Amino acid sequence: MEPIRILLSRCSALFRRRNLDEDLDAELSSHIEFAVEENMKRGMSAQQARTRALREFGGVTQTKEAYRVQQGLPFLEAVLIDVRYGLRQLRKSPAFAATAILTLALGIGGMTAVFSVVEAVLLRPLPFKDSGQLLSLHEWVREDPHEFNVTAPDVLIFQRESKAFTGEGGYVGAGYDVTGAGAPFHAAAERVTASLFPVLGVDPLLGRTFTQKEDENTAPVTVISYSLWRERFQSDPGVLGKTIDLDRRPYTIIGVMPRNFEFPLDAGRLSRRDLWVPMSFTPVEKNSEGSNYDYGLVARLRPGVSTAQAQIDVNRVIAGIQPRYTAVAGLHLQGYFRTLKEETVHSARPFLNILLGAVSLIMLIACVNIANLLLVRAASRRREFGVRLALGAARRIVLRQLLTESLLLSAIGGTIGAALAVVLVHAAAVHLPDSLPRLGEIAIRWPLFAAASGFAGVTGVLCGVAPALASMRTDVLDSLRDGSHAAGQGRSQYNLQSVLVILETALALLLLVASGLLLRSFAKMLETDPGFQPQHVLTASLSLPRHDYPTQQKVDEFYAELQRRVETLPGVRTVSFSSNIPIVGQNGGRLITPEGHVRSVGEGFLIASTYLVQGNYFQTLHIPLIRGRYLDDRDVQAGAPMVAIISQSFAETYFHGKDPIGLRMKVGDRFDGPMPAITVVGVVGDVKQGALDQPTVAQMYEPISQAAAALGPMAAMLGVAGNMDVVIRTADDPSRLLPSLEKIVHQLDPLLVVSRAHTMDEIVAATESSRRFNTAILTAFAAIALVLSLLGIYGVLAYAVAQRTREIAIRMALGASRKVVLLRTLRYALTVAVMGVVGGLIASIGLTHFLKSLLYGVKPLDSATIAGAVLVLLCCSALAALIPAQRAASIDPMRALRAE
Amino acid sequence: MGESKSDVLQGTLDLMVLKTLESMGSLHGYAIARRIEQVSDNTLIMNQGTIYPALLRLQQRKWIKAGWGISETGRRAKFYSLCRIGRKQIEMETENWERIAATMARFLAPSH
Amino acid sequence: MAKNDLQGTLDLLVLKTLSQLGSLHGYGIVLHIQRASDELLSVEEGSLYPALHRMEQNGWIGSEWALTETNRKAKYYKLTAAGRKQLQEAEKNFEHLVKGVRAILRYA
Repeated sequence: MEPIRILLSRCSALFRRRNLDEDLDAELSSHIEFAVEENMKRGMSAQQARTRALREFGGVTQTKEAYRVQQGLPFLEAVLIDVRYGLRQLRKSPAFAATAILTLALGIGGMTAVFSVVEAVLLRPLPFKDSGQLLSLHEWVREDPHEFNVTAPDVLIFQRESKAFTGEGGYVGAGYDVTGAGAPFHAAAERVTASLFPVLGVDPLLGRTFTQKEDENTAPVTVISYSLWRERFQSDPGVLGKTIDLDRRPYTIIGVMPRNFEFPLDAGRLSRRDLWVPMSFTPVEKNSEGSNYDYGLVARLRPGVSTAQAQIDVNRVIAGIQPRYTAVAGLHLQGYFRTLKEETVHSARPFLNILLGAVSLIMLIACVNIANLLLVRAASRRREFGVRLALGAARRIVLRQLLTESLLLSAIGGTIGAALAVVLVHAAAVHLPDSLPRLGEIAIRWPLFAAASGFAGVTGVLCGVAPALASMRTDVLDSLRDGSHAAGQGRSQYNLQSVLVILETALALLLLVASGLLLRSFAKMLETDPGFQPQHVLTASLSLPRHDYPTQQKVDEFYAELQRRVETLPGVRTVSFSSNIPIVGQNGGRLITPEGHVRSVGEGFLIASTYLVQGNYFQTLHIPLIRGRYLDDRDVQAGAPMVAIISQSFAETYFHGKDPIGLRMKVGDRFDGPMPAITVVGVVGDVKQGALDQPTVAQMYEPISQAAAALGPMAAMLGVAGNMDVVIRTADDPSRLLPSLEKIVHQLDPLLVVSRAHTMDEIVAATESSRRFNTAILTAFAAIALVLSLLGIYGVLAYAVAQRTREIAIRMALGASRKVVLLRTLRYALTVAVMGVVGGLIASIGLTHFLKSLLYGVKPLDSATIAGAVLVLLCCSALAALIPAQRAASIDPMRALRAE
Repeated sequence: MGESKSDVLQGTLDLMVLKTLESMGSLHGYAIARRIEQVSDNTLIMNQGTIYPALLRLQQRKWIKAGWGISETGRRAKFYSLCRIGRKQIEMETENWERIAATMARFLAPSH
Repeated sequence: MAKNDLQGTLDLLVLKTLSQLGSLHGYGIVLHIQRASDELLSVEEGSLYPALHRMEQNGWIGSEWALTETNRKAKYYKLTAAGRKQLQEAEKNFEHLVKGVRAILRYA
């Protein structure tokens, strides 16, 4: 108890220092006065009395000092004194302090930001209950490299028959035009089984989720997202029970999900779901024969069941499924699963890992630079230390002050770094490309900041104090002499610095090579032919609700009228419609069997991406015709034979180079059967279905009027006969056409929503954004690394020249010309640079294959890139060395020698 | 040659301040120092500054308390008096001191 | 008892120890003091060596390096003539101190 009381008293005294000092002064002077009074009473004169009183009191200062020691926290006060002293020292060398602090700030801030992002995206568990137990189930065919989800009937089968899970939830994407809640808009939605929310373990914020009965009875109920609730219903707590119209059918809102809830966790900010509806499988879905594997299935592992056991169980269920599906007869259907988290993040992993690697390299380089800075500084202060030690300063005190200085640097650098990290993380959450998942969860993680600061702090302390320790161990007299005499000491330090600079240069080369590779990949991507001409093209999506457009005829009439009216607009060249457009990706794949094709044992599916088109689609997009003809009016007449246009890669893969014009094929896994035969009438160039750096897929085009016939029962299931993208080629700026287009659409049907309207240029550019970002970041890092290592070279060289001034002066006096001196200095710089380059090359050879997933059209060991990086580094190093070299060459030997 | 004066030890000083205040009630620093010298018959001469850190120490432990007042000569001075805790400590501290003194005496006794 | 209480008397203890035991190294001095006082008086080595240094500077003790029983090198101290005189002085001072304190304790 008592020690605490004393401590509290000491602490509070810190704050009242001035008052307490005055108090003590008053008390002591009154003490002296008493003594004087007494002395005078004994008969002394005033003068004598005072003298005697003062003498007998002893040292007033000592008393005060003893008092102070008792009163305050002497340790803390000593620290404060050291801090003030350290700040003064730093202010005397502003260039050094600024460089060190900035380097520290960049390193700490950068690392914290990157680590925070990586932690949020890759490492954090998903925001569901016990998310480690959630698995994503897939089916696949051993003979086929494509990844599937599961079929609609399989969702039900797994729910019924699997034993390894406590629950399974199925989901599939859907989109609805929403009216009745503010301005009409197109909502991204997900159809989910009633079991999904319980499997995820998430409770709604308001209301409830679906019951099994509602799911089975196709009840028109919906659960909406938090942002929809906030934006369209103003967070009204009475929203439950209200209705909104989805595709013109009224749905009752029965629940609102919590703020950060998101499912499925697709990449990108724009893929957030606005609402969820019950899965309510249609009879067609339930009876489909294993040809549509579009449904997602998430399952929660039963506690105590291992993943191995779960796999066995899945295999068992699959074994029961396989015989039911004729579509996969003769093939091996298999099931596998991944953790939901792994599935969400694995696409981001390569980029983020590389980012992590790059920022760690930068941090390393920054630390090397700081080490060098501090080494140089310590060396230049050897004289000062020598003097102080000779004058009797305790080694301990001097070291303590150095330590304080280093810690001050770290503290200031750390604070700025923290601010930087906050800014960077904020920027990251906003600007990171959409291809990264879980962007909403990015926030700064302070433990990471503490770790980064600790690391930097330790580096600062080691590099600040260690060389000082080393330099103080030398004889005090020694350090008082001119530095160049203490050659042994200087040389080992010099070598250490050289090694550090070589290390830096190697790391910089590594980053330069990486950035060069990415730059070339990006350039290659930009050069890639998308297969069509995206300029001057406007596209938008329309979805006709089945309710009001129940027959294909009604759909056709709508689009025909729309086409007619749009064609009359000024500036419109051609108008067409398609079930999907290039670049955006995600097109349904269908099994195709060419006539006469005999499938060999173990051969996989033949799958082609299908486009249903109307109007002059190929001419609108300028897709080149290679053989045969485009689709035209004769194909849309009633009773016309079924035809299709195929892409070049389709022809080569499935018709093996034969002329395919006139050959026939069928949808499905065999040619003999009830499906209608389709004749190939033309071959066109491939278009890029996904981003430009994605591989090409086989494509085929059919007139939309054929859709019902060709797809048979699947037409109803695909349900896309009414959902089309309108594609318009304009004479000039396509975006100017949008208002007119919307007006015409609303003339035809005021409730229709024109969604996803973009120019084709915008769409292409959007897919480039992720690669652009990767490249920009890595190039920025490489630039920083280059600058830092150049600073390193410059620093070491400048120091060496300063130290060797005497030696150089002697050489010059003995006849060496300025040019020779210049060249010698440059030679040293280049030696260091070359050694760094060699190190960097070795590192590149070992490490660039990690970049492979990010490269496009460029090999990891691309010789042009490597040569370029080496050249840049060597030239810059030579430039950095030029200034100190010139300074060496301009030494006046007479003056230098005289100033001994 | 004369009598040699001793420097007073810290803990012992605390005890003597307490004892003085116990019998004198409330005193200012100068008076406390004078009194101790007096009663000990000048064998304990304090470097008069020594008393002030001791007074502070005792204040921090809350064994004594201080307040400004007017002395008998009309001078402003800081007066000290015992707190309850301080009063209770006196006996224990006295015991302690006696024990140490006895031990020292044994130690310093002519060697066996 | 606060460790500072021994400051003035540390010199005394050391000098007396050396006068009784002749020549001893620092550690031995500490041990003896502890034992002879029935563990009541213990010296912190942190304060012993500065004190030894000071007393050596004052000329009261002298030192020399020698080997211990376990063949380790140690610095041995012993009293000088001036030290012997100082010991008497210190003992007298101590008696005065005790007398003075007792007076306060009795009569305050």
